Amino acid sequence: MSTVTAESAPDGHSAFDLIWVGRAIALVAGVLLVLYPILSDNLYYQNMIILSLVFAIAASGLSIITGLAGYVSLGQGAFIGLGGYTVGVLATRHPDTNVWVWMPIAGLVAGAVALVLGFVALRARGPSFVIITVAFLFLVQVIAINWRSLSGGTEGLSLPIPTWDFDYANWPFYYGLVGILALQLLLSWWVRRTKLGTGLVAIREDETKAATVGINLPVEKIIAFVASSVLVGVAGGVYGYYLTFIDPRGMFNILLSVETMLALLVGGKATLWGPVLGAFIVEPLNEYANNDLGGGNTRLLLFGGLLVVIVLFLPQGVLPAIESLLNWVRTRGKAGLVGARIGTGGSLTALTDRLSLVDREVAHDPLPLLEVKDLRKAFGGLTAVDGASLVVPEGSITGLIGPNGSGKTTLFNLIDNTIHADSGEIWLAGERIDRLSSWARVHRGVGRTFQITRLFHEMTVLENVVASQRSFSWGQLGRIAVSGAEARAAEDILEYVGMRAFRDQKAKALSFGQQKLVELAQVLMLDPNLILLDEPAGGINPVLIDRMSEMIRELNSYGKTFLIVEHNMPFVLGLCDPVHVLARGRTMASGTATEIQKDPAVLDAYLGDDFVLEAADAAQTPEARNA
Amino acid sequence: MTELVQTLVLGLLVGGIYALAASGLTLIFGVMRVINIAHGAFLILGAFIAYTVWNQLGLDPLVGVLITTPIVFGLGWLIYRLLVRPIRHAPMSSTVLLTFGLALVTEGVMGLVWGNNSTAIRPSYVDQSFHPGDIFLPKAQVYGGLLAVVVLLALWLILTKTWLGRAIRAAAANPASAELVGIKVTSVSAVVFGLGVAAAGAGGAITGVLYPFVPGSHYVWIARLLAIVVLGGLGSLEGAVLSALVFGVAETVTAVYFSPAWATAVPYAIVFAVLLIRPQGLMGTRLRDDAVAA
Repeated sequence: MSTVTAESAPDGHSAFDLIWVGRAIALVAGVLLVLYPILSDNLYYQNMIILSLVFAIAASGLSIITGLAGYVSLGQGAFIGLGGYTVGVLATRHPDTNVWVWMPIAGLVAGAVALVLGFVALRARGPSFVIITVAFLFLVQVIAINWRSLSGGTEGLSLPIPTWDFDYANWPFYYGLVGILALQLLLSWWVRRTKLGTGLVAIREDETKAATVGINLPVEKIIAFVASSVLVGVAGGVYGYYLTFIDPRGMFNILLSVETMLALLVGGKATLWGPVLGAFIVEPLNEYANNDLGGGNTRLLLFGGLLVVIVLFLPQGVLPAIESLLNWVRTRGKAGLVGARIGTGGSLTALTDRLSLVDREVAHDPLPLLEVKDLRKAFGGLTAVDGASLVVPEGSITGLIGPNGSGKTTLFNLIDNTIHADSGEIWLAGERIDRLSSWARVHRGVGRTFQITRLFHEMTVLENVVASQRSFSWGQLGRIAVSGAEARAAEDILEYVGMRAFRDQKAKALSFGQQKLVELAQVLMLDPNLILLDEPAGGINPVLIDRMSEMIRELNSYGKTFLIVEHNMPFVLGLCDPVHVLARGRTMASGTATEIQKDPAVLDAYLGDDFVLEAADAAQTPEARNA
Repeated sequence: MTELVQTLVLGLLVGGIYALAASGLTLIFGVMRVINIAHGAFLILGAFIAYTVWNQLGLDPLVGVLITTPIVFGLGWLIYRLLVRPIRHAPMSSTVLLTFGLALVTEGVMGLVWGNNSTAIRPSYVDQSFHPGDIFLPKAQVYGGLLAVVVLLALWLILTKTWLGRAIRAAAANPASAELVGIKVTSVSAVVFGLGVAAAGAGGAITGVLYPFVPGSHYVWIARLLAIVVLGGLGSLEGAVLSALVFGVAETVTAVYFSPAWATAVPYAIVFAVLLIRPQGLMGTRLRDDAVAA
């Protein structure tokens, strides 16, 4: 990085000056914000800022679940409402208690509700979440309308009038919200820089893949959802007290959610400060539409139109747009690194303190490391895997071959639980693992690559590798995303696969072959005992194929067990022993490479009658091929 | 007993209308993976157009469906072309937000054009009813429910018996392969968006006769329709029809035997319960592609 900045000094100056100008503006804005009630007693603007603060807190919270984890929630307003109602209900029941006492309780209620809702909603993936958040918002509104004994129904609740000096009427609300916003920003900032944050971004990029690198999906998503709501509940409590009157139509109005979402989108959903900026743009616009344009329908047109325009023309938001403009100014005319040569690869011995490597003696009668028994999976009427059974002996490089559609990849997906098996058993080192989640299997030592590589495209190569989580613990989630030791381990592993020069490139900029190597590094980072490779030699050049088989042999000689799906017969037959043949979802033959090549059933089903492997070891040495 | 039969029949009739409106939503999702949050708004728009057709032309509002539906179809087609197509490859959240914005704009426009007061379409038979045996069935409910079934059948025939229907199903199953065999997926998508929205519009014209409405009614509708398609399994037409009937009956039973106020909570409660047990919905299946598609 430092070299790049040095080179770009001539035209880079202006860009860096601009960044400092931006920071200075932010600082001045922050100071003005804090001083405003002291400098001016204009209640109109104080009110506007108070409302902007509420939305800034809500949007900053939303940036965790929506910005980082990629789960769109249109129910964020419900947590404002829940906070308001918690304080409203408690304050009207206990008129003699100071209302501020209830604010933390509002946060607890919001957090507890998010926990329960998250447990229901986040078990499923993708589109149903947004639907559930909308349904949830309407459900609490219906409850607030109908549970009259608690909420006062449609007539709403009137909170106690503040007792302090009228001259300072807004101060406690104003500074209370500034404090909550500071806490929320701290929380959002902290989440972003921990393992939890990396896990959430991985989930946003590719949730299935995230599970296969050891990320505990429900735990991370639910924590993110709770972190998105707790302080919003507190802010909702302050907001309710500020209004001194709450009713279901106002507090659970979907437009609160819309305005929060807009603030997030306008500012930049994956940024720290974007939601704050967005809130201070959107709320004043809202006030303007309400006061000067007649409100009601005009406000709907404004919000709706703004949503459409942002999604179509500024999907990243204001802050990232400015940032990429600055980046463009800074790196204009520089060549990319993506075309650099892949390294020749480092030595495995450099990794002995990174991975559990043992210089192993070949046992004569090795134990099975992985045992698959009578596994079945049907997709509707198509039975992809139909009673497959196979054994991967510890310390072996086991091959899995078979015609297209014979169920090899599906079998992989069943072994690491990317797809859940209908029936059958999977045993790993004597432990039955077929009821475990993907990440639990990873943590027990199963790592896999994908036929069509699946990297986290928006992350750099290094980030991709350190996204792997070898184990799960609650404490680990709070640890810093990339510790120095981890970064060094990841760099050593990247060096080994030959991709160190690309560490700061975005994964999406890499070629297919380069991605295969990074995916291998990602798996090695997990330090698995069993490595599943789905077509490691597919779609890459011959030199890389040789390097791949060299690495597999070397890792194997240090104790790593492999299960490989591959169509490149010289590669498989030269490398693997034993080899299993899959046909129609069933293991039709197993044996050594030589046995398999002569098996008439295998020749008939897959290899073809005229199959002659010219030289099984041709794949290993380039010289042999050239000869 | 009589009351129960009557409740069930009315529930099924209402369910038929829900099925019509929800079929459009699930069809759009199935073909282009877009959750059209503006679906409820188009339904209410259908009701307002039907109101104007009835009010200005004096046509029976249910016959007016013949005018309402093509108008809403054209609008849907145009919206796909202009707004949805440019972001068809963007993450699903983008289209959710875009269509949500559209819903708000549509609500605002309806408010400006027709006003925010409660509107009702009242043809001559609105207060009449059939009395087979001891049961009591309002004529509007019966006509509306049957009309919904007829339109739904027409939609089903288009999907299963025509070349267009085959193209639609091909595009839903695998857009890339559909392109390869000569189906222009964006054109098909535009037609599907139009058809889906038109189904909502037709449903709106029918419900406009049954219940009064305001522009803001679309929230209740979209919540209900989303609940229906989630329950049925997103993208599944059969699932949507089945779960629409379940909803119609569940809501009617709650309104009659418990309280009308709580009837609106039924859809949400069902969704939560179902997703706890079956995250993929009633008829949703998980496919090989789910794990492989990047």
